[in-house]
This record gives sequence, structure tokens and C-alpha cells, in this order.
Amino acid sequence: MIEKEVTIVNNAGLHTRPAATLVKIAAKYQSEFFIYKDGLAINGKSIIGVMTLAAEKGSMLNLSFEGPDEEQQAEEIVNYFNRGFDEL
Amino acid sequence: MIKIDSRNTKRKENISVEFFFETARDKFKLKSYTGEIGFEKLICDQNIHRPGLALAGFVDLFTYNRVQIVGNTELRYLQQLDSTQRRQVFERLLQFDIPCIIVTDGNTPPEEMVSIAQNQGIAVFGSEYSTTKLSYFVGDFLDDQFAPRVSIHGSFVDVYGVGMLFIGKSGIGKSEVALDLVERGHRLVADDVVILTKKGENVLIGSGTKLVKHFMEVRGIGIVDVKSMFGVRSIRFQKRLEIIIELELWDNTATYTRTGLDNKTIDILDIELPYVKLPILPGKNVTVISEVIALNYLLKHFGYDTAKEFENKLKESIRKKTEEKDNRTINYFEHDFE
Repeated sequence: MIEKEVTIVNNAGLHTRPAATLVKIAAKYQSEFFIYKDGLAINGKSIIGVMTLAAEKGSMLNLSFEGPDEEQQAEEIVNYFNRGFDEL
Repeated sequence: MIKIDSRNTKRKENISVEFFFETARDKFKLKSYTGEIGFEKLICDQNIHRPGLALAGFVDLFTYNRVQIVGNTELRYLQQLDSTQRRQVFERLLQFDIPCIIVTDGNTPPEEMVSIAQNQGIAVFGSEYSTTKLSYFVGDFLDDQFAPRVSIHGSFVDVYGVGMLFIGKSGIGKSEVALDLVERGHRLVADDVVILTKKGENVLIGSGTKLVKHFMEVRGIGIVDVKSMFGVRSIRFQKRLEIIIELELWDNTATYTRTGLDNKTIDILDIELPYVKLPILPGKNVTVISEVIALNYLLKHFGYDTAKEFENKLKESIRKKTEEKDNRTINYFEHDFE
């Protein structure tokens, strides 16, 4: 299992478009992807769950990846967060 | 399986007196005698306390950090003191860092109490309710506020009044089962993110999050609003959790229960809950099976355990057969003319 911590860097936060892209990236891989924030455990492959976070700029999220292709999944997802969902 | 750790459990450390007053004002018929003084103070303990002995002067084990409830007995004791004595009593009592004081039964708090509390920055509230009733209300309210909660990925449905939580890997079809159950007249509590709150010692109450409410994602369609699509009868806000069902792909090596005698349980926040592992196979109608699980649970609740009943019948039948054999031996002796 891989665990990472990321911060939301774009102004609009984790809104619908990035949430949908995030879920799409996560679903490409077999590994389970979970997001933890404020005591919520969110399955990163579920769009409703990711939108529940309503994560604003500056908020920190804990990510966990577990499965056969966890490394590639973690890399691509963390990269997407760090790019500010291509909105920077 | 359900993972529960510090990352998905949460427990409030404290609530402000302001939050307590604003939330509970109407429910407990509260009014404030000290305006907004002491609203910034924090309540950190879920228990309440009646400061009878502390008023009388014994402050050794005074649990001052709790909400203090002053009832008729305390007020009668204070009435028989003169004003200087009362002042002394309150100066001693209110030097402690008390979160707030509630005077019950529609009584007006003594002047000395209000003025010293104001100086010390402690809120004094009054309630119409009797001490016993208010103690219960406040205790229950604080119990709920400080209850541990856990967030779980799954679908939560009320099936024939039985709270069923479906868990399993993403894409296995939890939402589809929930949708199918709603179609058959059952009620959706939450989909995707379910928050379970411990109520009392052995009850877990599940609900959805404020934002999601009764929205649901169905793969291939997108987001569906169950409330507007199926109407208000298809939803509910909260439900006691009674059974956990884990959906998984059929696994040849796994063993699934065949008789129902071996009841499995799962532990969530120190509460044991019945747990069923349900394999998914082509042609297997999980919705109907879920309904059957709910009905079986209800039967058990009303004292009829299907698996046990069947076992008893089998035992009885075996016993009769052995008895019949015994009869034959006796018959043999009867016909043995010597």
C-alpha cells in the first residue's frame, strides 16, 4: 500500500471537471484508491464520493493506493494533483 | 472487509456553548440570563453534573468541566441562605472554569449567581423542563454530539424496515442493487459515502452527507437524484444499521454459509453486527436475495430462526428413526413365545 499527502493548489478547488477526470484516471487501474479528509473515507473511483469532499484550495488530502498496479496509479494521480488539475 | 482506522473515524473533542445554546434552544426551551456572555467557552465532557455538594462547600471532587444543572433542591438550599452567604457560595463555585449552568423547572436563578457568573464569563441558562427531563435531554444531546462516527464506502438501504449496508469493491454493483431495491419500494438512506454514528452503547445510526443526500451515481448513466425520480417515499434520512452485506465476485476457494447456522459478525466501533458475504454470479438476483435476508432477519427478531427450526426438525426426525428401531427390538421380544 502506498500513502501520499497532497494539497489542492488551483483556485477553483476540486470541482466537477477535475473530480470526473480524477475518477477516470483512478478507474484505469485495478488498485483501490481512497481519499481521506476530515474523518471521511472516500473511494476515489466514485464521482459522488470525490465531489462530497468539496475540497477547496489549500486543503490537504491523504491518499492511499493498494493493489497490483498501485505505483503507476499513485504516480499519475499525485501528478494530476500537483499540476493543479491543469488549471494553473 | 471494512477498514476502520483513525483516518475515517472522527469524534468531536468539544462543542462551544454558543453551538449548544443555538442548537438546543428550542428543543430544551432554553433562555439565557447572561446574554451572550460565555458563548466562546467549550463543553469538553459529555456528562452532566448537579453541583449540590459543591454549593454546600465540598469542592474536592467537583467535576466543574461538565454542564452544571441546578434544580429545585439546590435552589431551595440557596433560598434559606442570606444574601452574603449566597454570594460566598457562588464566589467559591464560580471560580471554577464551568462551561455553563442550566437552572431547571422554569425557576429564575438567584441574582448573586447571575452577577458573579457574568463577571466570570460563565453563561447561565434557564429551562422550562424539570430536572429529570432536562438531564435526559442534555445527556442525550451531548452523547450524540460526542459520539464517535465512521465514514464507510457503501450503499445503505432500508429494506422492509431493516437497515442494510452493502459494501464491496467499487464497480461491483452496490449502487445498482440499491437502485433496484428502491424500484421495488424500499428506501434509500445513503449511497457511496455512509456516515455511521454510535448511539448509546449498541446502536449505529447511518446517514448520508449533507452535500450528497440522495444523489447516486450509476455507471453508464451518470448522477441520478433518487428523491426527485422516485419520490419522497423512496428515501429516508437516517436508519439504524442492522445487517452488513459484502458483495464480491464468486470465489471458488472461499466458503459461503450453506445452512445459516454459523452466524458471522463484524465489529464496528465496538458494536457487533450480523455480516453476510454474498457472492455475485450470473443469473443471481442480489436484490431478491437481499429482501430474503431482511425477512429472515425479521423472522429471527420475532423469535423464529429458520436455520435452527430446520435443524430441530432434522434432529427430531433422526431421533424418531432411532426410536423406531428400539420399538422393533421390543416387538421382537413380544413375539418371542417361550
